[in-house]
Amino acid sequence: MISRRSILRAGTGLAAATTLGAPTILHAQASTLKITTWGGKWGDIMKATVLPAFEKEFKCTVSADQAFPYVPKLQASSKNDPLYDVLQTNSNEQWNCFTEGLVMDKVSVKDVPNVADVYPYAVSDKIVGVTIFTSAIGLGYRTDKGITPPKSWKDLADPKLAGARGSYLIPVNSLGQCHLMMLGKVYGKGLQDLDAAYKALELLKPIKLVDFTGQMEKMLLSAEVNEGVIHDSGVYRYEGDNRQPVDFCSPTEGVVALEQVLSVTPGSKVKQLAYAYMDYMLRPDVQKLLAEAVWYSPANKKVKLAEKYDTKLLTTPEKVATLIQPDWKWYNARKEDIDGRVTKILKS
Amino acid sequence: MILRHDTEPMPAPAALRPSPIAWLIAPALLLFVLFFVLPFSVMAVMSVYSGNPVTNPNAFLTTRHYMRFIVDDADIFHDALWATLKIGFITTVISLLIGYPLAHWMARMQSRLGHVLVLMAVIAPLLTGIVVRTFAWMTILQDKGVINTTLMSWGLISKPLPLMYNEFGTVVALVHIYVPFMVLTLTGVIGRIDERLEQAARSLGAGRIRAFVEVTLPLSLPGVLAGSLLVFALSISAYVTPSLMGGNDVLTLPMLIAQQVGTSFNPNFAGALGMILLVVCLIIVIAYNKILTRLTGEKGLA
Repeated sequence: MISRRSILRAGTGLAAATTLGAPTILHAQASTLKITTWGGKWGDIMKATVLPAFEKEFKCTVSADQAFPYVPKLQASSKNDPLYDVLQTNSNEQWNCFTEGLVMDKVSVKDVPNVADVYPYAVSDKIVGVTIFTSAIGLGYRTDKGITPPKSWKDLADPKLAGARGSYLIPVNSLGQCHLMMLGKVYGKGLQDLDAAYKALELLKPIKLVDFTGQMEKMLLSAEVNEGVIHDSGVYRYEGDNRQPVDFCSPTEGVVALEQVLSVTPGSKVKQLAYAYMDYMLRPDVQKLLAEAVWYSPANKKVKLAEKYDTKLLTTPEKVATLIQPDWKWYNARKEDIDGRVTKILKS
Repeated sequence: MILRHDTEPMPAPAALRPSPIAWLIAPALLLFVLFFVLPFSVMAVMSVYSGNPVTNPNAFLTTRHYMRFIVDDADIFHDALWATLKIGFITTVISLLIGYPLAHWMARMQSRLGHVLVLMAVIAPLLTGIVVRTFAWMTILQDKGVINTTLMSWGLISKPLPLMYNEFGTVVALVHIYVPFMVLTLTGVIGRIDERLEQAARSLGAGRIRAFVEVTLPLSLPGVLAGSLLVFALSISAYVTPSLMGGNDVLTLPMLIAQQVGTSFNPNFAGALGMILLVVCLIIVIAYNKILTRLTGEKGLA
């Protein structure tokens, strides 16, 4: 028979057990990984497939911030309790964060085993953290406007393209910054030959400048520009049913790497989970899924892409060798001066 | 009886008790402090520090961000301030020229239905985001846009007119975006002006134009002042429209501020630029208010 006393005793026992077990439960609840990730098609796949599978496998929740820019938000948060555990940005921003002590430098094979399988560029001395994908920055062009398909970066200065060529506002866009450094290499002594780059910028006037890659895609598609600086995925994605009269050129002088980089914040309370996420993003199946969805070149050497992707993306050591990685630490240290100079040059 | 009253605790003086009005104002005051005073103070403090004093223990007090603007080695900051004020001024004047006749027409409209329909037409654009409206202007004004393509297909021009990627395109889009603020402000003020005053002026021999210039216009100046300040403040703080419409020809202070926060990761210099923009604007607004006050002989807004 259940007496009032036995119910009370059972209730007290349950309460005690709950109280004693609370830290464990709280710990389980606290396993939230805070990351940054892109929006668009990439973000759709991450939210629909990639992140739920990670949450299930590692019994955690992932809080993904897709609202760019991430670095100012990370700057504003406490270093001991950062807003993100894993920061995904392009390489130039990672270097800013590393300089300020907001992210950690390298990841080891011990923490992230799949790092053993990445191409050397993904963990080179030009990289903070680890590269999970890269795009190639080159020239996109219209195939229906009677222009000669470009072969060199110098072809963008063709007088016939006056007013119909495009690039980026250098102070705000890393592709614009890469383009400036390539001008130094192509017209001068190397990526760091800024005087040659500034002179070459004059040759490109008049030029239409935009502040993000999506806008450049829109300009190419509407023929507002006939040739412009863009990453390969921004052109290759217009294929099949979505085909448009645009193509991509990898200039003979080389393409600049636009890396998607992951790094861990030093104050993260879930570092092992953060490393697990990095490792997960480098898994061949995850890499293949994302690479084929958004036309990014996977950093993992073991990924086998379908033929149509394999022929165009950087999936062999020979193709990867054409990638040029800028020294962002060097560039960021001079950014303010460069910004002022190029703004004056390009203002007509 | 008297003795009992004397020993009872004295009621609190009425002056010490918060009035019901204070309770009503409190939420608004709290919001003002939370969403204006606090962020503004943070911005002001950041502008005189070398880094973020909360997260960086080595941050120190400095005037270098203000000096950087004053010295302007890069030769772009003063130009940006000038461009910001110029675009704000032109946008305000054009908005006033477009908005005043429309507001006057609306205020004097006899048909209630007509008034509602015009009001809806004025308000409707506000229901669409600024980004969308700016993109719409881009499709109209760009080199391969509606206007240039049409004119070229008719053989009227051989190369595109420079309608975008410059100040012209920026001002056109800003005027379209901010004219409703001017119209709505003016309609309220003009609607309250007694029409009989104008009729009296006309019955005393004044023509339509003279009656407007000497009666209606002076009485509507408070609306002109309020509408102009509103449009000016919105125009000089606009970021999206100048960024998308201006190309490399337009660089305003809000664009520079966004650049400093978003890509140079220098919130301290951004704070200093924000303070400078605020101070310059306050000076302009106070001067404008004083001039109009002197013209109307009435009390100004600021």
